[in-house]
Amino acid sequence: MYVKDNEECGAKAVAGSFHFWPFGRTGILLWLLFLVFCQSAQALPSFARQTGQSCVACHAGGQFPELTPYGRLFKLTGYTNGVQTNPLAAMIVGDYTGTRNNSDGAGGSISPKDKQMLIDYSSVFLGGKITDVIGGFAQFTYSSYDHQDASGNWVSHLGSDNFDLRYADRKVDTSRDVIWGVTLNNNPTVQDVWNSTPAWGYPYVSSTLGAFGGAPASTLIEGGLAQQVAGIGAYVYLNKSLYLELTSYQTAKDTWSFLSLGNKKGDTYHPLTYMDGSSPYARLAYTYEWGAQNVMVGAFAMNAKILPMDDSNNPVYGQGSTEYRDTGFDAQYQYLLDPHAFTAQIRYVKEEIRDHTQTLYDGPASLRSFKVKGSYVYLAKYGASLAYSNVNGSSDATAYADSANFSPDTQMWTPEVFWLPMQNLRVGLQYNYFTRYLGASNNYDGNGRNASDNDTTYLYMWYAF
Amino acid sequence: MDAMDMKSTFKPSHLILALCVTAFMGCTSTNEETSPMAGIAMADKVCSMCHGLTGESISPMFPKLAGQQKDYLKLQLTDFKGHQRSDKAGTQYMWGFTHLTETQIAELADYFSSQSPMKADADTPDARGELIFRTGLPESGVVPCSSCHGADGQGNGQFPRLAGQHAYYMIRQIKVFQETEQRPRGAIMKQVTHSLSDADAESVAHYIATLGAKK
Repeated sequence: MYVKDNEECGAKAVAGSFHFWPFGRTGILLWLLFLVFCQSAQALPSFARQTGQSCVACHAGGQFPELTPYGRLFKLTGYTNGVQTNPLAAMIVGDYTGTRNNSDGAGGSISPKDKQMLIDYSSVFLGGKITDVIGGFAQFTYSSYDHQDASGNWVSHLGSDNFDLRYADRKVDTSRDVIWGVTLNNNPTVQDVWNSTPAWGYPYVSSTLGAFGGAPASTLIEGGLAQQVAGIGAYVYLNKSLYLELTSYQTAKDTWSFLSLGNKKGDTYHPLTYMDGSSPYARLAYTYEWGAQNVMVGAFAMNAKILPMDDSNNPVYGQGSTEYRDTGFDAQYQYLLDPHAFTAQIRYVKEEIRDHTQTLYDGPASLRSFKVKGSYVYLAKYGASLAYSNVNGSSDATAYADSANFSPDTQMWTPEVFWLPMQNLRVGLQYNYFTRYLGASNNYDGNGRNASDNDTTYLYMWYAF
Repeated sequence: MDAMDMKSTFKPSHLILALCVTAFMGCTSTNEETSPMAGIAMADKVCSMCHGLTGESISPMFPKLAGQQKDYLKLQLTDFKGHQRSDKAGTQYMWGFTHLTETQIAELADYFSSQSPMKADADTPDARGELIFRTGLPESGVVPCSSCHGADGQGNGQFPRLAGQHAYYMIRQIKVFQETEQRPRGAIMKQVTHSLSDADAESVAHYIATLGAKK
């Protein structure tokens, strides 16, 4: 990375200004990590190494994983720009979660490790060009605090994270510009190049151990099948205007289980979700670019049938499935003109659920999930964003048992401020502000807990190298 | 603590994963050492992503290259490759092209210089800008731009075509010349822009943007 002198020591300045000593061993470790990474500031995440370009070339305002128009083209043409080089990269996330009211009313706490600075999780990436027409992205994530065993000790977990392997090519001349490709991936919308769809949508990091790191109900396509499925799809992007994609997903088992490592049937903590047959996914997007601005409007849909699990978390065949029909509409806008970057994403997913197993829902159900986010970054260094999430749907006593009126209805605002002292280090402070939670603002659980009790502070440091 | 229980995983899956890893790691020699891409192919595949297929870039972040002076293009590509040109955007987007061969540079310069000249980027007239462009500001020591860049802003050899260029891009470069040493080959511009006020820089840039080819 062609880091200027005054940026190499940015990490030292960061380390000095963060008073980690009160946080004990973890704090010292983090400070040491900063010093180490300050020395190795030449190291690049693999795509930047491959192209020799700075992160902002592909990431809008430096907000990885948000993509610029160039970043979208890089991905759509198979991650093949540049030279084949060391494909390894890594990231570490250290964070702190503060749940506003962490008492469960019976002397216990709700969010574990609340108000503690943690090295939460880290990932290894294999990414980049394999040939001129084949490239990909493979991520594996290690969670320090995955679950507690019977004695209360924390157990870590290593498993597959996002994966997208592509073959892609482009034919361009004065009369037309056609990009086409095929993708093998393990998470519906991970292959998408706009940040309005779930896999790469905001928030990019959020509390993992906090009980209220997000909305308590979401549609299946919003992460429910992440690393559970193997998808094979084909797409075309015509004249940088029209994007069409069709992908078929199936359970990532047997030959495909390298896409769902760390998940398997019968596992207590990470049972593999089994699909009945294969599930189609379709995506349509229209884009337009003018001056420093660009816009996308699109739609996506997926039908999936999920098999029930028995008490040992094995899939049960022959007793029906839960059918999810997700239809989504999304849009994105960007204004990118140094020193300013403004990006906004919006999506609305409508879900119809038919549970033929009668294990998850009492009857036919529907869920509507709306998300919108806007962010502004100055000099790709100082940023702020505001997100709003509104989930509502039919009431169901089985699905939303924690709600006094069995409702999923939740409204949440998430303001965030963030700082990129170096292009590959993001420090941020996020706050989930609930005006409604599982059906009510006040006393949503019938035991006096209010939506605002779930407000959550989330401070993070996200380092990629 | 058995973080990843591999015992019960079906073996072909691991074979596929191993193949993926091998493919990614692959050979570490660069493609350019074995078969350098022709300039036109590079323009199509890479340059066009920001600069447009014919050099008519959409975003003012990226200069138009359509009909740019061939010598100027060669020199800028050489300076990006060798890291002599170090303006911020140039560093962020163009410093990766260290593998360009002289042939590729010549081919790219040929390709973009032979495109139809860049279209006008604005159409509102700017009288102050025209004054500066044609007659300069003798009292401040600002020479007329046209004396080196041509009566129509078309450029000449090492002096780039400006007519029709994004005004935002030209303003940025004026600031780079005025305030930094990041474009040493353009040192003459330092003298030229020394006394140019911000308002005048904007005026002249907006005027020159209107000089491009009619749409």
